[in-house]
Amino acid sequence: MDSVVFENVHKIFRRGSLPFWRRRIETHALRGISLTVSRGEVLGLLGPNGSGKSTTVKLISTILLPDDGRVQVAGYDTRNEGRRVRKYVGFALANERSFFPRLTVRENLEFFAALEDVPRPEFAGRIETTLCAVRLMEAVNKQVMKLSSGMYQRLGIARALIKRPSVLLLDEPSRSLDAAACLELWNVIRAMSADGITIVLATHNFEEATAACDRVVLLRKGELINSRKTARANWRELREFYLEMTSEQTVPALSMEVPA
Amino acid sequence: MITQKIFAVLKKDAITALRYHNGFVLTAAAQAAQLATFYYLARAVGPQFRPEGMPYFLFLLVGTGFYAFLLTGIHNFLRAIQESQQTGTLEVLLTSSTSEPVLVALNAISAFGQGMLQLLVYVSVGFFFFASALHANLGACLVVFTLSILSAFAAGLFAAGLQIYIHKGSAIMWLLGSCAWLMSGTLFPITALPRAARVVSFCIPFTHSLTGMRLALLGGNAASLAGEIGILAFFSLLLVPAGVIFFSWTVRQARLNGTLSFY
Repeated sequence: MDSVVFENVHKIFRRGSLPFWRRRIETHALRGISLTVSRGEVLGLLGPNGSGKSTTVKLISTILLPDDGRVQVAGYDTRNEGRRVRKYVGFALANERSFFPRLTVRENLEFFAALEDVPRPEFAGRIETTLCAVRLMEAVNKQVMKLSSGMYQRLGIARALIKRPSVLLLDEPSRSLDAAACLELWNVIRAMSADGITIVLATHNFEEATAACDRVVLLRKGELINSRKTARANWRELREFYLEMTSEQTVPALSMEVPA
Repeated sequence: MITQKIFAVLKKDAITALRYHNGFVLTAAAQAAQLATFYYLARAVGPQFRPEGMPYFLFLLVGTGFYAFLLTGIHNFLRAIQESQQTGTLEVLLTSSTSEPVLVALNAISAFGQGMLQLLVYVSVGFFFFASALHANLGACLVVFTLSILSAFAAGLFAAGLQIYIHKGSAIMWLLGSCAWLMSGTLFPITALPRAARVVSFCIPFTHSLTGMRLALLGGNAASLAGEIGILAFFSLLLVPAGVIFFSWTVRQARLNGTLSFY
């Protein structure tokens, strides 16, 4: 069974949204997207800025609702069965201010575990398993305000995993991470996929797309323009393919002359 | 599960408050200054002024203490929504398994919990100075207190909904707070207002909260107290469901328009 299904989904953003407001500005963010993601698959969303990657992720999480078409998660419709969908979906948001800074990593996760209806006796075990999965166990008693950017990213994923979701959403997960932290994160993603978690990942990073994803879909101006498996592809091939499909111009290489 | 969530919210707030060591000291200093102001204001006005049959200092303590508690609660509620919009926490919370009305109620517990300490200081000072004058009907105090929180919670829901829908919750809050400060009998009895203003005053739940609490604390006329409780109950029954419906509607509109985190 497919974990995530998009059927001809349209999403329009409206500014000046008061009903009596005449000068409404409309932006057509997604135009008839149809795609499916299988259980345990890691799907990468690639595309230039404004192509609809984050909108796609937010539609799965129910932060946004489609204007037309249908989004289903684990067989439930996001428009009419939002609360059921939210039981299955974990959205890893790593904004450092989205945590409680004076609380420790454990205290933050305990708070979100309570909101996610995790039974109290299971808190300690869940937190330990989750932090081990994202390799953050050593920071369990650290106040969140003292974490590094990479640790915030991993804590964001831990928060999303605490409810044991069957679909995990990641929006540019390797942003602000160094090379070693990226590799570690991609290993974590592969391990979660092997455990049967479906992952949808929005990224600009071709290396991430080839290292962590089973398949990528290319988006441009809200349309799905292509989809391909990443197996045996290297990131340079993927970049060439992306540039060809999105008709984006390659940035000319800068001359890097070192002064004598 | 709901008790677990309430416990989690209270624990989070308590830990945060304890770890902001300086916050306690500053709040206590501000309260001491405010209480001193009321004391000397009451002395300047003189002992012959006894609004609603009580010493003016006690009138001020109950009026401003309870008013500040309710208004701070509504304000904290709105601030929580604004801050979570700015930080992105709102999106995280709204993708959790907890339903929107429960999330909102938890926010309210947190918001009013923060004002509880201040209220306790006011009540303690009141007992210290006027223990002999007080003939508190504790049951009535509790009923007035609960119904007042429900009305304030409803006002918070409307303010939060407006914040999500038109991003101007603070302006509405400022307007509401100023009107209530003037017209609900906080600093002076509402009988001092012109007749037309008294009609508006009657329509503000805060007026009945303050009058009801004063009557309950002084063991005032039972019929008047019952009347105030009845009006507060009516406001709660009317406003709480309306607030929940309005807030849920604004969140759904924001999900449709993609404006959930706009501020």
